[in-house]
Amino acid sequence: MSELLHFAEHRLQEAALVVMAIVYVSRLYWLTRFPAGKERQAPTGLGDTNSRKGFIYSWGNVAMPWAMESSRMKPFLYGQFVLFHLGVVAAIALSFVIPYAPGLLDSSLLVTVFRVTILAALLVGVARIIRRASDVYMRKISTPDDYFSLLLLTVWFFFAFLSVPNKSDAGEWHLLTYFVLTAFFLIYVPFSKISHYLYYPFTRYYLGKSLGRRGVFPLRRMRHPEAERS
Amino acid sequence: MSNNNTRSHRAHKVIERMGKKLNRQMVGSLVACVHCGMCTDSCHYVLTNPGDPTYAPAYKADQIRKFFKRHYDWTGRVLPWWVKARSLYTDEDLEQLKDTVFGKCTNCRRCTVNCPMGVDYPTVNRMARGLLVSVGIMPEGVAVVSKDQWEIGNQMGVLKEDYLETLEWLSEELEGELEDPAAVIPIDKMDADVVYSINPREVKYDPRTISDAAKIFYSAGENWTMPSEGWDMTNFGLFSGDDDLGGAVARRLYDKVEELRGKKLVISECGHGYRSTRCEGQNWGKVDVGFEMESSVVTMLRYIKEGKIKVDKSRNTQPVTFHDSCNNARSCGMTEEPRELLSLVTTDFREMYPNRAENYCCTGGGGAMSMSEYTPRRLKSAKVKADQLAATGATVVVTSCHNCVDGLGDLIKHYKLNMQVTQLVNLVANALVVEKKLAVAVPVMPTEAAAPLAGVTILVADDEPDFVTFASTVLEDNGATVLKAYNGNEAFAIAHSGKPDLITLDISMPGKSGTEVFEELRNDPALKAIPVCIITGKPELRKLIYERAVLPPEGYIDKPASEEALLLNVRRILDHVHHRTSA
Repeated sequence: MSELLHFAEHRLQEAALVVMAIVYVSRLYWLTRFPAGKERQAPTGLGDTNSRKGFIYSWGNVAMPWAMESSRMKPFLYGQFVLFHLGVVAAIALSFVIPYAPGLLDSSLLVTVFRVTILAALLVGVARIIRRASDVYMRKISTPDDYFSLLLLTVWFFFAFLSVPNKSDAGEWHLLTYFVLTAFFLIYVPFSKISHYLYYPFTRYYLGKSLGRRGVFPLRRMRHPEAERS
Repeated sequence: MSNNNTRSHRAHKVIERMGKKLNRQMVGSLVACVHCGMCTDSCHYVLTNPGDPTYAPAYKADQIRKFFKRHYDWTGRVLPWWVKARSLYTDEDLEQLKDTVFGKCTNCRRCTVNCPMGVDYPTVNRMARGLLVSVGIMPEGVAVVSKDQWEIGNQMGVLKEDYLETLEWLSEELEGELEDPAAVIPIDKMDADVVYSINPREVKYDPRTISDAAKIFYSAGENWTMPSEGWDMTNFGLFSGDDDLGGAVARRLYDKVEELRGKKLVISECGHGYRSTRCEGQNWGKVDVGFEMESSVVTMLRYIKEGKIKVDKSRNTQPVTFHDSCNNARSCGMTEEPRELLSLVTTDFREMYPNRAENYCCTGGGGAMSMSEYTPRRLKSAKVKADQLAATGATVVVTSCHNCVDGLGDLIKHYKLNMQVTQLVNLVANALVVEKKLAVAVPVMPTEAAAPLAGVTILVADDEPDFVTFASTVLEDNGATVLKAYNGNEAFAIAHSGKPDLITLDISMPGKSGTEVFEELRNDPALKAIPVCIITGKPELRKLIYERAVLPPEGYIDKPASEEALLLNVRRILDHVHHRTSA
């Protein structure tokens, strides 16, 4: 391993993580400086739910595609969402496995899991770029940050996929690119839409807490008889 | 490009005031959107305007988000073009924002329950409405209704004497119908177990809902009352985003209940009224109330379950479906109670799909019914609801919201659906078994003979031949002699020659406008005593009447006017004038 690659795998990643952590903390501090809205009224609804149930349901919403019409009616997009985010988790995990536990990649099963997961995410990334650029609604709401973030992740998936076996027989360029991109990704994330996962717990907590208190969450619905039969 | 030096005063104020309105939930919704597009198809405006992305919830939210980012979010401040952040500079920018936040969203919250990130766009949208209202930019209808609620105390400008006269009249009708001197509508009774608050629409257009509720309270043996003041449970603050108005209106009602030492406030069937009074009012007004509050739907259900009233569901055999008010279902969790009540008072209930918190808006919510400039847009977006209604096969759609009654009524007429809209209180009253008394609930109409307007001459002045025909038929059927005028000049001439007892006057007419005719009538010594009832399809035009330096008209009716509303108003005005001249 070259010194440059060693630097990219260790010092560069550590520095990027520190920067990201500092920015995240300051971001959370900024968010919590705004006062939280207060609900004074007595709870509404049937009384079979409450704020606690509401926010737990709200947090779990992401794993319940049947709970929201938008994901229920678009299973293909929901599937893409799952694959894409599993790919993110795998690619991030890989950035720790390679420098700190390379022995894990001796397992061909683990290598296969990494490669399949990241490849699937890569393909979803490409599909998402096409959708964002071609769909009139998506194009209208997209910012340069939306395109760049998606492109960045898709390229990152590509190099993560190449890096999975952690082999440098044919050169280190793919590993080096992967770790430089990872570091850039870590620093860029807090300033981009990718930081949505930082806000997710907040938005869903407050929405769930409020709608739980009001008896709305968990949502009730009666399915159409034809849907029941199918 | 403009800069801070060229920013209009209003734009400056909007940006400045935004900082004071933001709370953590709103900021979360402003920063968390990932532009995934999952909300797009949840909006009825999108579904009825295919290919127009400006209706997409995420796009609409971005119109607010962009100036939030430019001034309050770091990426937008440093690299605005990167996240499409842009400040507000001119009054034209504000007008564009008005078109989005008032004209392209009913704040129904359907996108909220369909957003994977939990972005609550309608809450942010309401905040933006409030910012615009704070600098005087809003649809005319919103300005007029807000003014009425601030100054007169209710959103339809019903005067106290008219309100009390109506209750007195309904009370007499009830007493006569039930043949019991105890069957009355108590006003300002102290220490009542129930204080009943209503929507001013019930006084103006739908008094049957009040008499039906009174009949139910009477049958249940309830110790109840209605307040003489502070009786309006609706709250335009919810629609205008004006928290000050919202808090003031809510406090007015809370204070009255406390003054009467009422134990429970029962809120008649109105989605936004229920949400505003039961929930948001306390938050806007920053008050904690010491009495219980419940929807009349829950009250009626409780009466049946506790055996306080008896009902016979075989009296409601027509196929009915239920439309969930957005405010009830998506903001207050009231979805099961109305269905349970329907199962007790009707024999043929048909569910609507989607339903409950996933139901579509009536498309008249969020104050849309008062914004006539957006009516064509609203009716186009109503296609989704019309299809939903038609698919049920029902002939009656029930809803627990007065706003929805109007919204649904409008779309049923527009899409020519063979349906009627009604409320639970009407069905419960119709099914009510009143011991030893007849329990047939029919629209409460004057008990005088079949021709209560006999001997009365009324001039109907309107440029819409359909309306003239409708009004003439209704009035003539009730014994009146009707004179007809189709423009302002004709109206004034016929008023002179015919000396009618009452004039119903449209505001928008060719030739002399209604406002000009009205002013001339008031300034003419021979005609100034003739009572005038203004009839208009554009509520915002009422301000043109207010602005005249003459005595105000004796009544208003908004189009589309029902037979019941027309007769009620005409009779009330004539009775009032009769009392005035007798005195």
